[in-house]
Amino acid sequence: MAAPPRHATMQSISNGSAAQGNDRPQTQQSQHVQQSQQSPGLRVPSNRKTIYDRHLNRSRNAELSRASFAFLFGEMVTYAQRRVTGIQDLEKRLNEQGYPLGLRLLDLLFYRSTSTSSSALSSSSTSSSPPNRPLRIITLLHLIHGPLWRLLFGRAADALEHSVSPDTPNEYMITDNDPMVNTYISAPRDMSMLNCAAYVAGIIEGVCDGCGFETKVSAHNQPTELWPSRTVFLVRFGDPVMEREKVLERAGVK
Amino acid sequence: MPDNNRGVFSLIIINKAGGLIYQREFQAGLRKLSTNDYLVLAGTFHGVHAITRSITPKIPISQPAQSPATSSTGTAAPAASGYSYPNPGVPVSGLDYLETDKFRLTCFQTLTGTKFLLFTDPLTGSVDAIIQKIYELYADFVMKNPFYQIEMPVRCEAFDRHLGAWLRGRM
Amino acid sequence: MALEQNMEVSKPQCPSTGTKKRLSLRYIFVLEPELIGFIHMRRTRVDKVNAELVTLTYGTIVAQLCQDYDSNYQDVNKQLDKMGYNIGMRLIEDFLAKSGVGRCANFRETADMIAKVGFKIFLNVTPTVTNWTSDNTQFSLIFEDNPLADFVELPDDGRAQDELWFSNILCGVLRGSLEMVQMQIEAHFVSDVLRGDDTTEMRVSLVRYIEDEMPPEEE
Repeated sequence: MAAPPRHATMQSISNGSAAQGNDRPQTQQSQHVQQSQQSPGLRVPSNRKTIYDRHLNRSRNAELSRASFAFLFGEMVTYAQRRVTGIQDLEKRLNEQGYPLGLRLLDLLFYRSTSTSSSALSSSSTSSSPPNRPLRIITLLHLIHGPLWRLLFGRAADALEHSVSPDTPNEYMITDNDPMVNTYISAPRDMSMLNCAAYVAGIIEGVCDGCGFETKVSAHNQPTELWPSRTVFLVRFGDPVMEREKVLERAGVK
Repeated sequence: MPDNNRGVFSLIIINKAGGLIYQREFQAGLRKLSTNDYLVLAGTFHGVHAITRSITPKIPISQPAQSPATSSTGTAAPAASGYSYPNPGVPVSGLDYLETDKFRLTCFQTLTGTKFLLFTDPLTGSVDAIIQKIYELYADFVMKNPFYQIEMPVRCEAFDRHLGAWLRGRM
Repeated sequence: MALEQNMEVSKPQCPSTGTKKRLSLRYIFVLEPELIGFIHMRRTRVDKVNAELVTLTYGTIVAQLCQDYDSNYQDVNKQLDKMGYNIGMRLIEDFLAKSGVGRCANFRETADMIAKVGFKIFLNVTPTVTNWTSDNTQFSLIFEDNPLADFVELPDDGRAQDELWFSNILCGVLRGSLEMVQMQIEAHFVSDVLRGDDTTEMRVSLVRYIEDEMPPEEE
């Protein structure tokens, strides 16, 4: 692959919990010491309405119109379509758009699971260590199937399966019977293979990568009579992940 | 509910320019017109609709200078000729419905100029509510579909599916 | 005479849509209540999604544009406006279908409709309408809250805060949707808290009402 490592494609617009500026060189910070300590170069409103002055959980239960999401997502698809050569290319691009979201959502998930479960943990006598990131594949997939799906779509995914084929032990499938992102979308007949939930596949990939599980995730149409837009997200872990999994298994790590 | 949809024969959607962008029957075996006839029907109705707007009678304004009291409402259009539509607060509509002994054609024109033409049995009730629901489905499954190009023929599988299902009373 | 009678029967207004369409009385009482209930439910219960998904998706779009246009923020603003315009042309149908509102009598009414109904439905905020010009063709929308910009900090490159209008898509949305209901407008941001300003303000100007494009005499 000629593309740069995916983390490098992240933008500096901190639309997410991962705040920029923590890794700024020390020298720069000292030059602007009299200014706002978090963002030396940026102007802030006099009422200090910045992202640092808001609680990260402020929008936790906030809701917005589903139409607004549909229009934004639709425009993202239209824009992506202008610059692509085919269906695969379009899905790749949508996947790339979801990827940074996954990385950011992962931080948000951890942050929130820490702040909610810490009270439960503190009752036990052990040191109140925050919940660790998933080490094993199954823990990771449960994180995606449950908490991630609930954060994004308000419900868990519909199924989580492991490939039964001995040739592909690294393949897992997460099923969504009716992906919210596809609700209003009808792909043209000549693009019937297309599944715009590639965006969601990108989000999953971001979460996996952020946890240190090198993965490729793709979205596939698997319609049934009852669920015409049923989608299967095929999660394929890389060989290093599978090897590590074996080592962890032997070591008894959960 | 079951009675309600039995009388719904077919739907036509006409774009702002008078072009046919959607046509569908809701009852199996309904005799179809040729594609060309539908196109002509759409164009003709569009023209007639515009004519009915333009022939709406205008009446002379009775009291031209009614003191500045009315100036606060910006509704009063510049009364150029001294004529006005009856009941100026209500905008001029075109042909709203057309009825024979055998069927009724109800036209709903959105503020954007799109027309929904619903063919029903003359006795079918709640036609307005049905058209309103069709408009909502159109807003959802046509307008929010990134692969639909505005003003072009509607080929959206999800729109067909939801429209059919709703009319069959399943939703 | 028969026609006359029909006209009598068809007088009552449809309470669900508020339109003055004709309905056959015989069926109103049999079928209406059920349908009214259904429509009423749809009207009041706007389908919702997690706000963070919307915010993050919009952020992704802007970030992608900044990357594609090599941080040429003027071009990013333009592209955002264009995308908004495309959205607006579609969104207006959703707005009309779901809100059931009719045509506004004047531009002041339009402004209130945008702020109190439009923004309320689609972004769950109600910007303040203010700073009218004396001829009632220009006003400002002041945003107390802007869900699109939640979590956002502009790039610290010495230019973004001077050049990028992060929420510029909204200008295009207004332009596109109003054009579809025969109003040509111009909209731009004049301040943004993301730039360090104390308020977020959009200026909206009516250019003209677009005349009915159907020439009845010609064809």
